[in-house]
Amino acid sequence: MKRLLSALFRSALVLSGFLFIFNLPLILGIGVDSVEIHFDQFWEVVKNNLQFLFQIKDDMYLSLFKQLDITGSYQYTMSILLISLTGIILIAMVTMVLIMIAPEKIRIYLKNGVNFFEAVPDLLIIFLFQFFVISLYKATGFKFLRLYGVFGVKPYFIPIITVSFLPLFLLLQFLIQVITEEQNQLYVLYVKAKGIGRLRTLLIHMIRNILPLIVLQLRTVIWVLLSNIYLVEHMFNINGFTKQFVIIIYQGGDFASLVACLLMLSLPLLVIEAAGWLVSKRIKGTEAVSL
Amino acid sequence: MRRYKKTIIGSSLLLIILLMSCLYPLYGPADFNQKVLIHDENGRVIDRAPFPPSEEHWLGTTRNGEDVHWVLLYGVKFTLIAAFSVAVLRVIFGGIVGIIISLWAPFLKRYFKDFFLTMRYIPSILIAIILMIPIKFPDDVAISSIVTYQLIILVFIGFPSVTVFAADITDELLKTSFVQSSYLMGAGNFHIIKRQLLPYMRSYGILFTVQQILSTLQIIMQLSIFELFLGGANRAGIFGYDDPYGRPKLASMSYEWAGLIGQNFTEFTQMPWIVFAPLLGFFVLILIINMIKKELENNILGVQLMKTKRKRKKEKPLPAAQTHTGKFDFLHD
Repeated sequence: MKRLLSALFRSALVLSGFLFIFNLPLILGIGVDSVEIHFDQFWEVVKNNLQFLFQIKDDMYLSLFKQLDITGSYQYTMSILLISLTGIILIAMVTMVLIMIAPEKIRIYLKNGVNFFEAVPDLLIIFLFQFFVISLYKATGFKFLRLYGVFGVKPYFIPIITVSFLPLFLLLQFLIQVITEEQNQLYVLYVKAKGIGRLRTLLIHMIRNILPLIVLQLRTVIWVLLSNIYLVEHMFNINGFTKQFVIIIYQGGDFASLVACLLMLSLPLLVIEAAGWLVSKRIKGTEAVSL
Repeated sequence: MRRYKKTIIGSSLLLIILLMSCLYPLYGPADFNQKVLIHDENGRVIDRAPFPPSEEHWLGTTRNGEDVHWVLLYGVKFTLIAAFSVAVLRVIFGGIVGIIISLWAPFLKRYFKDFFLTMRYIPSILIAIILMIPIKFPDDVAISSIVTYQLIILVFIGFPSVTVFAADITDELLKTSFVQSSYLMGAGNFHIIKRQLLPYMRSYGILFTVQQILSTLQIIMQLSIFELFLGGANRAGIFGYDDPYGRPKLASMSYEWAGLIGQNFTEFTQMPWIVFAPLLGFFVLILIINMIKKELENNILGVQLMKTKRKRKKEKPLPAAQTHTGKFDFLHD
């Protein structure tokens, strides 16, 4: 009973936080020469929003949402997300192994190179890719890389590469850091003393041990990917899910559509968070057993 | 030992840029050397702006014929001041609330996280766009109120994460033995804050501020792509811009760097210098700040490492020679 009450209370809190955040512009009205604060209007709108959310029988409910091409665009955006995510994980793993088995001197340079990309703003990367593709087109006259999403075309290759460029380095940096820490563990020393090679230790023992940490880190990667996809779809004018989102925001879509869109957008994060929760529970369980 | 070489170099670089930008009216041309048309000796028009980078125009000119390097020099102060003040305000508000939550109301932390749960699942750029929409179509309001509104929103976006961070760090510090023994000897919360937490708060506060400057710069830049410029938009639009649909393209009012990137991002096929100059400038700013951040992080982490190393030295086992219990020892073996 107590748990149920607290769960109810907390979900009410989440809902009120949501309403508060998205109606904040109503509290802060922009006056002629100062920012005015009015709560009454805010309260009215919040009440309206709440009523609207629970009025499912209404015909107007999700009207704009139903008009838009939601499934197609959502499929597109999510497939970009998934492809980039798998690509990032694979490439980051392979590169990490390559860096770790490289000679010491080269390894330091490579690590510094990876660290450099931490500071690069995402827009710079998007611009550079755009510039690269267009100058390639100008130089060769061939249009083999689709960039813009005009006339309903949905390009895959360039958006995926653009979107996953920076998250790749983010994950790679994390992997290198984690594996360097893992090298100080006693079992690595023991395995080395037993005469097992470095590559075998790395591939079989260490990677298996850092897998849970990678799952936890994937949340950040997905987060960055989502905001990158949003930027890229806007800048390349691709008719993806985020485009529908913009339409809903600017054309005064109802509150329920906004909520539905946001939920759909944060679905991957929820999934990966659930995975992370399971993994961390399992680790804690095994630790308790080993103690 | 702690070294602040990079921090000092980086912050003095930023300060020099800021000063040069603030003193711009004293030495720079007020109209940014505006020149739209070029005439030959007979007075015929031979060329019109924008001009590519050349000896005369170091970084090229805008569509309006203004020198890009003067415009950049004029506008950078707004970028720097805005990012810095937003970061400081986030850290002050977030830090105070975080410490209060951690010291006086630990149960609130869960509920605080729940209340701002939305922010954990929706990328901040989306929230920022939704919250910034009112400034896109303002009805003749003063710039000051637009800027105030934008600053409030920018501070608000970063506030929850800073608060949770600050509360987490304070929780960690409260577990340390020196704070615990201080409590045992009867110290109150205010005394703990003043004596034990303040020295930590200084270093963490500076580190947080630098991190928040970085994230503010990023979000300002991303917002500008959606024509949500810091300091409002000029509705007359970019001079000489022909949109296929006949809409005027909004221009940044303040010549602030992020705004310059956002207003020109469609033009880079024909005039790459207009976008790439502010973009590379922004990159340099972020590099400098990131350098400072790295050094500060290393300093804070490095101190902890040093402490653990010292501890380890003390815990060295006694040399084996002393454990001899035989009747005699070989002095030379």
